[in-house]
This record gives sequence, C-alpha cells and structure tokens, in this order.
Amino acid sequence: MGQFLDLALFLLLLAIGYVAGHAIEQRHYASIRRRERRYRDVLAFPMRFAPDSVTAQQAFLVHGTVVVSADYFKTFVAGLRNLFGGRFRSYETLLERARREAVLRLKQDARARGARLVVCVRFETTTIASGWAPAIEVLAYGTALVPLGADARALAPIAGHETAASRSISRPV
Amino acid sequence: MKIENRLPAEGINASREHPLKEFAWLAGGAIAVVIALVAAVAYGAQWIAPRVPFAYELELTRGLELARAPSSDQGRAVQAELQALAGRLANRMDLPPGMTIRVGYRESDVVNAFATLGGQVVFFRGLLAKLDSEDAVAAVMAHELAHLKYRHPAAALGRGVAVGLMLSVVSAQLGRTMGGNVLSQVGVVTLLSFNRDQERAADEEALRVLAAEYGHVGGALDLFEAFMHVSNDRALGEQAIPQFLRTHPISAERRQSARDWGRANGKTPEQPRRALPPAIAAAVAAAPPPGAATEGGRPIADR
Repeated sequence: MGQFLDLALFLLLLAIGYVAGHAIEQRHYASIRRRERRYRDVLAFPMRFAPDSVTAQQAFLVHGTVVVSADYFKTFVAGLRNLFGGRFRSYETLLERARREAVLRLKQDARARGARLVVCVRFETTTIASGWAPAIEVLAYGTALVPLGADARALAPIAGHETAASRSISRPV
Repeated sequence: MKIENRLPAEGINASREHPLKEFAWLAGGAIAVVIALVAAVAYGAQWIAPRVPFAYELELTRGLELARAPSSDQGRAVQAELQALAGRLANRMDLPPGMTIRVGYRESDVVNAFATLGGQVVFFRGLLAKLDSEDAVAAVMAHELAHLKYRHPAAALGRGVAVGLMLSVVSAQLGRTMGGNVLSQVGVVTLLSFNRDQERAADEEALRVLAAEYGHVGGALDLFEAFMHVSNDRALGEQAIPQFLRTHPISAERRQSARDWGRANGKTPEQPRRALPPAIAAAVAAAPPPGAATEGGRPIADR
C-alpha cells in the first residue's frame, strides 16, 4: 500500500511538473520573443571595442541577471538521461530561456540609462541549487556606450535593422 | 561595416522535440534495463542457491522453527500422521542429501500449507477441512515436498536477497530522481513470474509421486476441485487477482494439467480414494464449520 502511495505521489509530482513547467515555459518563450522585438533598437555585441564609426561619449557597465528553476519533470528526464547519455534536451530550453532573458534585461538596463549600444557582452552561469530541482543563475554583462551627441538617432547609420534590406534577411518570427 | 542584432534563431540551441517523446524513450529504456538486470540477477541467484549444500541452508535457518508441535494431543496425533505421510512420499522422491523433512501442523482455519527453509512443511487445519481423502492430502504434501526437493525456498531466499540488494543499489543511484520507487515496482512483477514456473515444476513432480504411490492422480484432481470451490466462495479472493500477478496458476488450469498428465501417463482418475487417516478425520470433524477462514493466504504457498 505504501509503495502504491509512493508511486501515486511520484506520478502526481511528475504530472504537475510537466503540466505547470510546460505552461510556464511556453509563456516565458512568448514573453521573450515579444520583448526581443521591442528591444531591437538596443544593440549588444560580444566584441571588445566599439565599431570605428562610434565615438563614445560615455561608457558604463550594464548587466542583466536571471534565476530559473527546473521543474520536477525536467529533473526526472535529466536523471534518466544521466543513465544513457546524450543531449540534455530538457535543460537546453531552460538555459536558452535564461540566456535570452538575461540579454533582454541587459538591454533594458542599457536603454533605461540612455544607451543603445552595448559591447563586450559576456555571460556567467552559476548553479545555485541542485538536487531534485536544480536552479541556475545566468548573468549577462557588458559595456554600454552612449555615443557622441547622446542621441539614439546617432546610431541609426550603423543599425542595420533600420533598413529594408536588413529586414529581408532577418529571420522572420 | 554594417552591424545589427537579429532576433535569435529558434530551434538551434534548444530542441523543438516534444518533451514527452524524450521521456517515453528514456523511461521505456530504463524500465527495460531494470527488467533485464533483475531477471539476470534473479535467475543467477535462483540457479546458484539450490546448488549450495542443504547443510548450509539448515545452518542459516536454525532459529526458524516453524514445524513445532501443536499444544493439543489431537494436534500432535495429526502431526504424526502428516509426518508419516511425508515419510512415505519422500521415499519416492530423490531428496537432496542430508535433507530431513519436518512437518508442522497448526490448528488454525487458514486454508493454506507451505514449505519453507530447512526442509519444513506446515499444514493448517483449514486446508485439511477442505479435503476428504488421504489422496488429496497427499497431493498437497507431494506438492510441498517437491518444492523442498527442488530447493525452491532456498532459491526464493537467494533470489529475494540478491534482487533486494540490487534494487536497493539501483534505487540509491536513482534516488535523486525519485525514480527508484517505480523501478522497484517493476522488479516485484518480474519476481512473481519466476514463482509460477516453480509452482508448475512442483505440480508436475507431485503428480509423478502421487501416481507412484497411489497408482493414479485422483488426489490432485480432488485437490484442485476443492480449490475451485473455495475460489467460487471467494473465500480466498482467488479470482479477484489477475493470473499475471499471482504466484499460483489458476486451479482450473492446474486441474486440466493434472488430467492431461494422468491421461498421457495412463493413470486414470476413476479409482477409489483412501479414507483420511483417523486423527486427521477426527480433527476435521471437530473443527469449526468452514467459511470461518478469514485470514489471507493462498492455497499452497511456497514460503
């Protein structure tokens, strides 16, 4: 009897983990995609220096950080994956969401402070909880540049997304 | 240089595969691996345990004294008759070296009898009350002795210990994912299917011994017939459990196998049965009316 209760509890947790985790993930992805379009005017690059055409007037650190948790279902699937090896598919979406969210928050930070260009963007990842529901923190940080003239329009000549040509090669969403 | 931020590409860094698909593959694979492991370990332990000399089994089970004498004079008389019957049947069986059969008797209404470690067989009055000839009692006895001959209690112990040990290791490994519970459930079902093979082997040996002792296998037919009535009364809930999960084959099937065996070996069942030995007959007559058997227990358990 106790064994069956254990089994029932386990299946219940698994079902909750799947249904809730899946719904939350779908909603998060929708939110990420919406905001990625909204923040397209803030450019973020991994290169160490600003493009030659930009003469910075002001530079400061911006960062975005996010903590996300796996759900019971993801952890269980990952545990099984540990047996056989292969891609941790259930965690890939988790990390992808975290990275995109961190970049979004970095861009939000930059725009709030009047910058439209962030260079030298770097990522850091930390596991902050393990066990049956691991959680990770992803931090994105970079150097925000406010160009000479301190006007968003000053970036227009280098921001390819403003032109019709670049729109056509951008991936449609 | 023209620089731009495109929207992130979808489906490259994270798989678009449905998560349940991965789950189904992994869970199915894990269950298959556990079934294979449990089967291998169970089979190995079950193979090795009966090959360990009986003296070690006796040593191991010294404290397990189940065949002790009943308190009443009548009970002791019944026990003596059962012991004598066991002796006669055992002479027709090729028991492992050093094995002494000890028969115990319990004045309880449980419809059961079992063979266990250390060459012990225990009868319950409730079972005797369902039987009306010596042949039928001998059928039960021969079945239990066959379990002992094949060292089934030792095999079950070895298998149980080995599988229990293995599953606890597997559970500990998977404990972090909480999958251990499920996997040990799978293990239990695998074990049951092994027991049924042993029951069939014991039935077959019992038929051989019965035919040798009585010249026919009518006792076994009577026994399974009696079990079928018990089943119809639902007193033991026999039909309530699907056969897949039960250790004993369903009585009707066993009766059919006994009939087929008798026919194939030229032992027709239409022969007179021997009367119950006097003390057993007296004990059964003095027993409370049938139907009082409320305790659990399947007919003829192996442990």
